[in-house]
Amino acid sequence: MRLFLKGLGKRELATSFMLILFIILFILPFVTIGLKSVSVGWRWPALLPSGLSLDAWRSIMKDPKLIESLVTTFKVAFLVVLLNLLLAIPAARALSHYMFKGKSIIEGLLLSPILIPGILLAMGLQFTMIQFGIADKVIGVVFVHLIPTLPYAIRVMRAGYERMGSSLYEQASVLGAGLFTRFFTIALPLLLPSIRSLMLLTFVISLGQYALTAIIGGGTVITLPMLYYPYFSSSNDAVIAGFSILFALLPLLFIGFVEVMMRLVIRAVNRV
Amino acid sequence: MKRKVTFIIATLLFIVACGNSESNEMGNKEVLSKEWDEIVTSSKGTEVNLFMWGGDEGINQYIDKWAAPRLKEEHNITLNRQPMNTEEFMQKLLTEKKANKNEGTIDVIWINGSNFKNAKNADLLLGSFSKKLPHFQEYIGTQDQNANYDQGTEINGLEAPWGNVQFVFHYDSSKVDIPPSTLGELKQWIHDNPGMFTYPNVSDFTGNTFVKHLLMKGAGEESSLLSKGFDKKVIQDSEEYVWNYLNDIKSDLWRNGETYPESLTKLDTLYSQGEILMTMGFNEARGESLIENGTFPDSTKSFVLKDPGSISNTHYLSIPFNSPNPEGAMTVINFLESPEAQIAKMDPKMWGEGTVLNFDKLSEEDQQMIETLNRGESVLSTEALNEYKLPDIDTGYTEWINNEWANRIVEQ
Repeated sequence: MRLFLKGLGKRELATSFMLILFIILFILPFVTIGLKSVSVGWRWPALLPSGLSLDAWRSIMKDPKLIESLVTTFKVAFLVVLLNLLLAIPAARALSHYMFKGKSIIEGLLLSPILIPGILLAMGLQFTMIQFGIADKVIGVVFVHLIPTLPYAIRVMRAGYERMGSSLYEQASVLGAGLFTRFFTIALPLLLPSIRSLMLLTFVISLGQYALTAIIGGGTVITLPMLYYPYFSSSNDAVIAGFSILFALLPLLFIGFVEVMMRLVIRAVNRV
Repeated sequence: MKRKVTFIIATLLFIVACGNSESNEMGNKEVLSKEWDEIVTSSKGTEVNLFMWGGDEGINQYIDKWAAPRLKEEHNITLNRQPMNTEEFMQKLLTEKKANKNEGTIDVIWINGSNFKNAKNADLLLGSFSKKLPHFQEYIGTQDQNANYDQGTEINGLEAPWGNVQFVFHYDSSKVDIPPSTLGELKQWIHDNPGMFTYPNVSDFTGNTFVKHLLMKGAGEESSLLSKGFDKKVIQDSEEYVWNYLNDIKSDLWRNGETYPESLTKLDTLYSQGEILMTMGFNEARGESLIENGTFPDSTKSFVLKDPGSISNTHYLSIPFNSPNPEGAMTVINFLESPEAQIAKMDPKMWGEGTVLNFDKLSEEDQQMIETLNRGESVLSTEALNEYKLPDIDTGYTEWINNEWANRIVEQ
């Protein structure tokens, strides 16, 4: 062991130390959860579970609402991401490129939803949503998910616009490029990293909303957290672990989907 | 530009105006004056949304796999179980009441105790319906204690009993030979086995009920008064016993009583990990499914304290004021109170909890079925459970325990 350590330089030592640290912090918990979801009665101080069984997964799969909840979750999250893109891009562009009166007030206003506890907003909003007739509907849930997502989306896009600057835009403008050409050939490719992180961030935030969905969705809009969170008050760890894995897989699936879509869009744009 | 703005504002106003079209001026209370046959007939082919806590596979399965298909077959009713925590649907109903939404989404709710008290006071429930249900009349009756008081709150037919559970302790029989059978013996056991016992924080329902047993014991002969409304005098006579007991055991509890598990789930986890040797809770049969799925060790058995006894708790089904389908809701509740449904609910593979039906009023056939039902190794016999059964006490004491416990036990 000593010889092995001696053979390594300081740099390699630091690298392997970091590697081990990352494995402990990020990979080990995932492995533990995976193992927990197929274990029976895994008690301290046993290092490994005493028995394996798929019971937890079976009871998750048996839930007749599982498919419905997955579809609703994707539907809600997809619409939330779409609305965020539509709203955040113009807002971020305006905030980064123009100076106008009361800009700091508007900035503060746009950020305020994440400073106020969401549950308070939801209770107040439920009243209004009932009167508008969109409570207990998917569309109401989509709107209420904008509260915790839009401020982040605007921040992310604004950073992207500021990094890009306006000189390229002006150049294209002088050369006679129209609004759409400018957006699709300059802004979109340069903003791609920001758009990517916006989509992932808003998707994950929307996915994790329990209280807002429960109050505005009124139990008729069943997303995955609605099935998953009640299990926290039972002591069957295996089911909770199974749900957690399912929960972690959704963003991965979404990223994959988004990547494919983006490649297709960019290829189409380049051809034009 | 200006025209555009005007147009947008006009559109918005239009949308706002459209939203408020939902109003059910008739009110749905008129169902309460209908004949039962009429109610059953008009509920055919409808959907009923049952809102209930969804964190137990056994309970969920009982509704999804046992009750729903039979309701479909017998009454052509589609039963939708909607998982939602009690506080959330209470909040939802409160807001809907405030917003005058007379056509809601909830048909049946699962409540009891303080939630029922709040719902009753805020006028969130449809009205007195339980005496209309044939199964309620036949097998429970209006004289039944559970049909009249829910933890000290008068029921007035606003909710119908659904299940009855008793408070039991679970222990690991491979490590504890003879479980204690009185509060005195329990105290002795805790002293002999320091660090192996604790109870949940009293803000948790289970922890609170544990302390209620002490209050029952302390009240002695006056204990029958505890379920008939909050009485300061009873407390004065019995509080000394409660706080002395808890302070005496404190230093021998898990982690020397410096901290208490915040919920029953945490207590169960400590027990399942072998950190402590006993856990407790409502539902005499709740150990069965936990042993089955490996959470509790196989050697888990249960016991009740013969002195003072074991508090029982009844939970109920009710119909909210803005149920879109009260006829269907009543048909479903009546079905869930049938002997068939209640006996199936006792099966430990499903839910395993006790029935609310009066044993003497059942047919001989049904009585025999209950007697021969194998509720599992960890469940005490029906006779033993009935012998030491105590009624639940008024919700006023729950709050009293909450407030005093923080002052007298935690801060010392």
